[in-house]
Amino acid sequence: MSGFDITGWGISVPERVVTSVELAERFGVDEHWIVSRCGIRERRAVGAGQSTASMAVEAGRRALERAGLSGADIAHLIVATATPEQPSPATSAFVHEALEIAGSAHDVNSECAGFVYGLVTAAGLLRMDPRPVLLIGSDTHTLTANPQDRDLSILVGDGAGAVVLQPGSVERILAWNLGADGSCKDSLKVLAGGSRLPTSEETVRRGLHYAQINGNEIYLNAVRYTVRTIRETLEQAKLTPADVDHVVPHQANIRIINSVLAHTGIPSDRLVTNLERYGNTASASIPIALAEALDAGRIQDGDTVLLAGFGAGMTWGSVLLTWGGAR
Amino acid sequence: MSEVPSVEDLAAQLQAVSGAQEIDADAALQHIADVDSLDLMEWLYGFQNRYPHIPADESLFADIDDTTTLRVVHGRILALVGQAGV
Repeated sequence: MSGFDITGWGISVPERVVTSVELAERFGVDEHWIVSRCGIRERRAVGAGQSTASMAVEAGRRALERAGLSGADIAHLIVATATPEQPSPATSAFVHEALEIAGSAHDVNSECAGFVYGLVTAAGLLRMDPRPVLLIGSDTHTLTANPQDRDLSILVGDGAGAVVLQPGSVERILAWNLGADGSCKDSLKVLAGGSRLPTSEETVRRGLHYAQINGNEIYLNAVRYTVRTIRETLEQAKLTPADVDHVVPHQANIRIINSVLAHTGIPSDRLVTNLERYGNTASASIPIALAEALDAGRIQDGDTVLLAGFGAGMTWGSVLLTWGGAR
Repeated sequence: MSEVPSVEDLAAQLQAVSGAQEIDADAALQHIADVDSLDLMEWLYGFQNRYPHIPADESLFADIDDTTTLRVVHGRILALVGQAGV
C-alpha cells in the first residue's frame, strides 16, 4: 500500500467580513478600482481571540470529523503557515495540543505555496509510514499588512483549510513539482522579527514588522513560475492542459490566475476560484477552495485535479491528483 | 540577425494584453486608459517568451515616469539588442 486517499476536509474563516467598499472608502478609491485590479469583493479578517492556530484547529477538527477520525488516529500533523502563532514554538504545537494529536507535529513555511509543499511532504511521509496525516494551511496576513498599505490590504484575507490523508491502495499523485528561487526573496518580505533584525522599538517605529511588496516583480514571477511548474507537472504525467478537470490555483489575484490559464492553455471552465469572497488567504487558499468545490459536489471520483501555488521567497509547486477514495 | 519587434508590434501586443482600445506609442504609458503596471508586466512576460534572445526584464520599467512612452521602451529594447549583439 503506497498510495493515499484524502478522506476529510474542512475550513475555517473568521466571521468578520471586510468588503472592498469599506477598503475603497479607507483608501480614497472606488470599489470598481479594487475589484478590477484583483477580483476581490470581500475578505475575512480575524477578530479578538482568533489567530492562525485557532483557525487551524477549527479547520482541522472539521476535516477529522469528515474523515471519521480523531486526533488520536493522526500519526503526523503538518501546519503550513507564514504567519505563525508566535515565533516559537511552532504553530503546530498549539494545534497538536488542541486536537489531541497522537503523533508528530511540524510547520512548513513556504509562504503561499505552503499547502502544496505540505501535501508533497505528507505524501512522502505516507510512503515511509502509512498512517493518517493531517495537513492544515492557515494564515492571518491581515495582521502583517500595514493598514496604510493599499496594495497589500486589498489583497489579503485570513482563513484556514485542512485535509486528512489516509493510506490507500491507489497512487493518487500522477505528478508533482516543487521549486524555489531565493534570489527573489526581496519581492515580498517582513524584515523585522527574526534573527537578522530582531524586533526593537526602532523596527516597530519604522513599521518593519509589516510586509513589504514589490507588486510588479511578484506578478511577473508568479506568472512565470506557476506556468513553469504546471507545464513540468503535466509533462511528467504525460497529460495535456485539456486533460485537467479542475485546477485549484493559489487564490492570489484574478489577473495572475487568468494569465496562468492563458499561458498554460488550461480551459477557463476548469478553474476553481473563491477569490471574490475570501481574497488571498495564503497557505489556506488552495485547501479552502478545494474543500468548497468538494462540498459543492463539483469534484467527483476519477476527476483529474491540479493544485498549483506560488509564494514569497519565491517558492512554487504543483500536484496533479486523480481524485477519489473519500470514505 | 534575430527578429526585433517594431514599436508598432509592441503597441499591438500591449493592446492585446490590456484590452485598451488604442495604444499611442508616443503617449505616456502612465496616462493610457486601461493600461496599468500589471498589464505592463503581463506584456513583458509575453515579450520574454516571444523574444527569448532579447535580455529584457522588469528594469525596462524601473524608472517609469510621466515622460516614459512605448517608443522610449522600444528604444531601451533596441539598446539591449545592441549590447547583446543579437
